[in-house]
Amino acid sequence: MASSWWRWRHGCSWRPAARTPAPGAPGRQGPPAPPPAAAAAARAQISCFYLVKSLTSACLNMYSISRLHHTTSAVFCYSKPRSGEKYTDPFQLGRRYLKGLYEDIRKELLISPIELKEMSEYYFDGKGKAFRPVIVVLMARACNSHYNNSRDVQASQRSIALIAEMIHTASLVHDDVIDDASSRRGKHTVNKIWGEKKAVLAGDLILSAASIALARIGNTTVISILTQVIEDLVRGEFLQLGSKENENERFAHYLEKTFKKTASLIANSCKAVSVLGCPDPVVHEIAYQYGKNLGIAFQLIDDVLDFTSCSEQMGKPTSADLKLGLATGPVLFACQQFPEMNALIMRRFSLPGDVDRARQYVLQSDGVQQTTYLAQHYCHEAVREISKLRPSPERDALIQLSETVLTRDK
Amino acid sequence: MSLPPLLMRLPRRLRASGPPRRLWWSPSLRTLSVGSWRAQSSKAPAYWNQVVSEAEKIVGYPTSFMSLRCLLSDELSNIAMQVRKLVGTQHPLLTTARGLVQDSRNNLQLRGLVVLLISKAAGPSSVNASCQNYDMVSGIYSCQRSLAEITELIHTALLVHRGIVNLSELQSSDGPLKDMHFGNKIAILSGDFLLANACNGLALLQNTKVVELLASALRDLVQGVYHENSTSAKEDHITNDIGISTWKEQTFLSHGALLAKSCQAAMELAKHDAEVQDMAFQYGKHMAMSHKINSDLQPFIKEKTSDSTTFNLNSAPVVLHQEILGRDLWIKQIGEAQEKGRLNYAKLRETIKAGKGVTSAIDLCRYHGNKALAALESFPPSEARSALENIVFAVTRFS
Repeated sequence: MASSWWRWRHGCSWRPAARTPAPGAPGRQGPPAPPPAAAAAARAQISCFYLVKSLTSACLNMYSISRLHHTTSAVFCYSKPRSGEKYTDPFQLGRRYLKGLYEDIRKELLISPIELKEMSEYYFDGKGKAFRPVIVVLMARACNSHYNNSRDVQASQRSIALIAEMIHTASLVHDDVIDDASSRRGKHTVNKIWGEKKAVLAGDLILSAASIALARIGNTTVISILTQVIEDLVRGEFLQLGSKENENERFAHYLEKTFKKTASLIANSCKAVSVLGCPDPVVHEIAYQYGKNLGIAFQLIDDVLDFTSCSEQMGKPTSADLKLGLATGPVLFACQQFPEMNALIMRRFSLPGDVDRARQYVLQSDGVQQTTYLAQHYCHEAVREISKLRPSPERDALIQLSETVLTRDK
Repeated sequence: MSLPPLLMRLPRRLRASGPPRRLWWSPSLRTLSVGSWRAQSSKAPAYWNQVVSEAEKIVGYPTSFMSLRCLLSDELSNIAMQVRKLVGTQHPLLTTARGLVQDSRNNLQLRGLVVLLISKAAGPSSVNASCQNYDMVSGIYSCQRSLAEITELIHTALLVHRGIVNLSELQSSDGPLKDMHFGNKIAILSGDFLLANACNGLALLQNTKVVELLASALRDLVQGVYHENSTSAKEDHITNDIGISTWKEQTFLSHGALLAKSCQAAMELAKHDAEVQDMAFQYGKHMAMSHKINSDLQPFIKEKTSDSTTFNLNSAPVVLHQEILGRDLWIKQIGEAQEKGRLNYAKLRETIKAGKGVTSAIDLCRYHGNKALAALESFPPSEARSALENIVFAVTRFS
């Protein structure tokens, strides 16, 4: 694993102009997914964990958060945008193609019991980040450009953007009931307003609407790809219920859960639009790997923000993970420095004062920095993958998007 | 119950007075008239069990516990272990789980059995020979068997999701909040797990029309369950202000849609044409309606019911009773049956039995039964078809 780091760094001068990945390109892409060989994946995760540990402990002061996004482009160069178009905000570029997204989602939810319809539409008010749909349409256009220079988004690809957002929202609604959450995106949760029984039904309804839309695309491969997401989301929740004794297993368990709960949807949606846009399996894999790495990075930063941000910015309460008994990246790294945390982790921060103590440990340790560094590693993997596609404004937007993931504050 | 109106409701060709059409095929093609019912002398539960066990033989293996298999065999989720933690609490999930394991009348995995039977009854498509490469065991394609399992998964998932508890409405008698919260958690996850398995199963069928059918059935089912739950807290002891036609629409959503669309999907898998698919849909829809009305009628027709047996105030006989009597009078009757703020179900039951609600419900049940039989007529005679007929007879008998 370490050798691939050095190859990657020296590959800064490698121009990704080739259409197919250069044969000599480092083959390491992080944990393979879906991981049929869980042991191999775990080993990769563990070695990644120790790599981060060793690198950051050697150069700790270099990776403080405030300097990260300034030193990024110098230390880890990636392919510069090659298109002639103006370098715009990737979200703006993406959202241009998503006009009417939420209206269209609401159309899929047209059913007669008004209250049920209201509950289902509650989060499709246009105020969410629309992060996943943006990635999906950008990926669609990047793949279409790569394949046949077409920059249009097919109707079926746009559908995938809707479906991804609907599946994501359905899982949020259920997660909020499971976690007994009271606020999300700056407003009360569905379960707090309408009660748990109806909230669960609303989630099921959104899922059924997403499935109907998926079936209407008429592509059985795409259906298989996205139903895998539904299974991964549930399994991710189950992984969260259980916990691992062994420290090494804990980290692998954490990354697997992160993949299933967050990255799988992004990875598979990207793969689905690439399947619809282009017949080349190499492109499908690139799309998948981009989505997967970006998704993991996104979740890692989310876990960091749970410690570093304040509630108003996030729209949901912070230290939420600790309060749910979850040991995320910063906690796991902090535990290396403060072995006293093991006991706290084992009892899932259930005793009074545990949450605050854990939070203090984390803030005193380098857990946040290390998790951020790891997220950066995944982002760069994502960039490396997407750079294999032909240049286009959308490909560049996707590259830029990964940096946005690292520097976001909510 | 008066004879002439019942006979008037039967389609002409099924009246007992004329020779039943196509009698030479099968002596079991009986009509739903009073006379033939007396011939079935065995008691209801025994007859039902007999019908089901014969049907299971026809389809080649026991259909019970289809959806449980995935729950119990999945090591990663280990749902069974989580549910065991709920023993001693009052969370509804425990009751649901027990009901799934016990062989009760209402939970015989009926939908799966019907899907298998109708697959067998329809046989391979005479028009479209593209299914020749599919596996077939006991006259049923493996994709159809898969579909039967998926149907049960969806049904069970919503059964489990019905058991979620509103935390804000809990009282001290319900036990500790954290038990209820944990129960909700496991119920949601188990239901979602079943749905995820259903979705994966659907993807494997490689047929987008079938996926769309079953997804729309899920949507209907969710709406149906929503209607079931939507009696407001204040009006707990009052029937919804709906007539029987609204009741039928809501009951179609909560009980009929899944079976109807699954039957149709089974035909689609075998590449049958639209007409056959529609007949299968009609059978599923009407049989499910009869089954629901039959189940609603049980508290009113059993000879020995204890005084404390309650019944659902939104069940068919009660809704019919309300419609016949008018809402104001019905609310007055409910008021009269209340003693110290509690509803005296025994007294209310007698009031309803004295009216026309029960007989109207029996008629409605038979109406749907006849429609189901009519739909079956377009299928060629076979063991499987007879089994489907017997199921209709079993749910429309009220001896």
